[in-house]
Amino acid sequence: MEIAFTPEQEELRAVLRGFLAEHADRRRLLDSGSPHDAELWRRMATGIAVQGLAVPEEYGGSGFGAAEMCVVFEELGGALAAGALLATAGLAVPALLACGDEEIKAEHLPGIADGSTIATLALVEADGSWDAEAARTTAKEGADGFAIDGTKYFVLDGAAADLILVTADTGAGTALFAVSGTAPGLTRRAHEAVDPTREMARLDFASVPARLVSRDPAVTGTALDHARIALAAEQAGGARWCLDAAVGYAKTRHQFDRPIGEFQAIKHRCADMMVAVEAARSAAYAAALTPHPDPAGLAVAAASAQICCSRAYTEVAAGAVQIHGGIGFTWEHDVHLYYKRAKTDEVLFGTPDWHRDRLARLSGITEEGTDGH
Amino acid sequence: MATDDATGDEAFRASVRAFLKEHAPGRPPRGAAERLAFAKAWAATKFDHGFAGPSWPREHGGMDLPFPRQVIYNEEMARVRVPAHPGTGWDMVGPTVIKYGTPEQQAAYLRPTLRADIVWAQGFSEPDAGSDLPGLRTTARRDGDHYVVTGQKVWNTNADKADMLFVLVRTGTRESRQKGISYLLVDARAPGVTVRPIRDMTGREHFCEIFFDEVRVPVADRVGEENEGWRIARTTLGHERSAGALTQAAFYRRIVDELIALARERGAVADPGVRRRLADFDVRVRVMNVHAARTIASIIATGEPGPTSSVSRLYNSVFEQELHEFAVDLLGPFGLLGRGDPDTVQRGRWTTGWLATRASTIGAGTAEIHRNTIAEQVLGLPRDPAMPPR
Repeated sequence: MEIAFTPEQEELRAVLRGFLAEHADRRRLLDSGSPHDAELWRRMATGIAVQGLAVPEEYGGSGFGAAEMCVVFEELGGALAAGALLATAGLAVPALLACGDEEIKAEHLPGIADGSTIATLALVEADGSWDAEAARTTAKEGADGFAIDGTKYFVLDGAAADLILVTADTGAGTALFAVSGTAPGLTRRAHEAVDPTREMARLDFASVPARLVSRDPAVTGTALDHARIALAAEQAGGARWCLDAAVGYAKTRHQFDRPIGEFQAIKHRCADMMVAVEAARSAAYAAALTPHPDPAGLAVAAASAQICCSRAYTEVAAGAVQIHGGIGFTWEHDVHLYYKRAKTDEVLFGTPDWHRDRLARLSGITEEGTDGH
Repeated sequence: MATDDATGDEAFRASVRAFLKEHAPGRPPRGAAERLAFAKAWAATKFDHGFAGPSWPREHGGMDLPFPRQVIYNEEMARVRVPAHPGTGWDMVGPTVIKYGTPEQQAAYLRPTLRADIVWAQGFSEPDAGSDLPGLRTTARRDGDHYVVTGQKVWNTNADKADMLFVLVRTGTRESRQKGISYLLVDARAPGVTVRPIRDMTGREHFCEIFFDEVRVPVADRVGEENEGWRIARTTLGHERSAGALTQAAFYRRIVDELIALARERGAVADPGVRRRLADFDVRVRVMNVHAARTIASIIATGEPGPTSSVSRLYNSVFEQELHEFAVDLLGPFGLLGRGDPDTVQRGRWTTGWLATRASTIGAGTAEIHRNTIAEQVLGLPRDPAMPPR
């Protein structure tokens, strides 16, 4: 196993970090009342073409791989910036690449690559399940094509998305469809999420015209696993920010005439936080940097990364709030944004126990069917 | 260039495999004395065939391998489960003598150490100097061309099997702390040396206490200058151990797989609590493997082991404890049976491991000391004024 970034990938990290330091502004976003920073999205596309990194060159992107996306998502997670990239590049792009339909790829990928299309995937329904094959939303085929009926929740960037990939039951199993953000019959309502940096929406479909993307449920499953790996990198980046913020504060905050970082109670918590951060980085890097020749290997990597990174981020974010003391409990300090993001991320693509059960099946701890799945 | 390296690496791997195929000694015998002789014989075989000391200079009998080949060497050795080098700390005292020893010390000790003709044990901790090692009180009084050593050491792993001891002694004033410590090589059978095994909580005798009563040690067996012992003992001695990090991760992988097999065998995995805990351990052992790979990649790229090497010890020791605590819980009442009970599970290995791993966060620096080190050395938090400089 080789876990190392190339000098070019580290250069990408440096460029991105500089760009985000200059242009990403969490407070502006918070004050604007919308998690989607259209200005930053545009700059990312025109300045450093982040949206097209994982899009193949023939569709207008630069054709990079999971390693580059890991760097990007780790840096975005550290800055709490550009949430729509996770839905667009983390979720929708892998689904489109896996669907095998050239026409659909040619229609949507160039717009994603140049930043004009925000895309997402709508899966979860009222039961909160992450099972990619159990949609209750229906797709009925008529003379003019398919029409979607049903309700999807927690759709990442669902209110801003121009392209919505949606799972629905055709009667012959769950398939994946493409719906325009402006399609007739589609009602979108942004959730009031606890995490103000992550836009999620409820989408109601009433005979919404849709185009079939793939009948293979593995397309959705694969896309979700890629998104979990991208999310893990975001989590590692966010956890690292929390550790740095806590350590920085502990060095400057004085009580009893000395920096609080001199006290072992603070030191040991910071050390434990670093242990968690490095675990998260290792899990996220391994998932992104090792090749996954088959879907099962990808799934193991995705589940492992989510189990490790979710725990690490929530633990480190809570530690950062604690070490900041009173100021950490205020709206004014950014640490609460990370604390909330950590919790959002923990359940975003499946809860920790859901991932544990899945990994138990995938790694041979349990056999298929023995845990009710 | 990279291709040449890769070709050379594979040829090297093949040569280690060929050596192991011909010479690996098979299953170890029963009995402590027999096992020691078995391990010594294997060390001698490696040495005599030029397969000992992957990181050591050739002039001292080593292989002088570049770091990536040290990793390959460790991988291949781990694959066949050959005995570990006998004694403890030989991989600390060896590099110390290589770096700071006189030509006479190097000639006298290095080759025999690598061949395990000399088996070593460490003599650092004392009853009143554990985490606060600079408070040690075993004294070495100068008498002509000898030191006269008096005092007591403790927690000396396998000292009862050792031929030689490497010992920190006080040569400065009582108050001199780390400024008055010297590093001596002491014959474990010299008159006045008494080694007594200590029974630990598992019931086994693994480590010892050592009494020095007016033991005469030649000044020629002092490593480095007088009163320079603290600095010498604390010097980072290369990255030899990091080359074995993947091996250690593979070892834990095997333990987790064995625990999973046990849980399945006992029908415990239908319990969501059990299978989820097992999934967590499964992830943690994967992370260990990645930590090792990152450490190795960092050494190769930058010469420095990077952040993962500083957290790995703490990560692994807490993991070991929690894994065994869970294993005992998993066994229910059978977890209470000792290794001698006829109804015990897998010869009591999980129960013994549960007890033995309490030492994981105590020995070789407590977890608290490691947390201080991470906080101060890596994260740059202010130093505790009460703590000695490194």
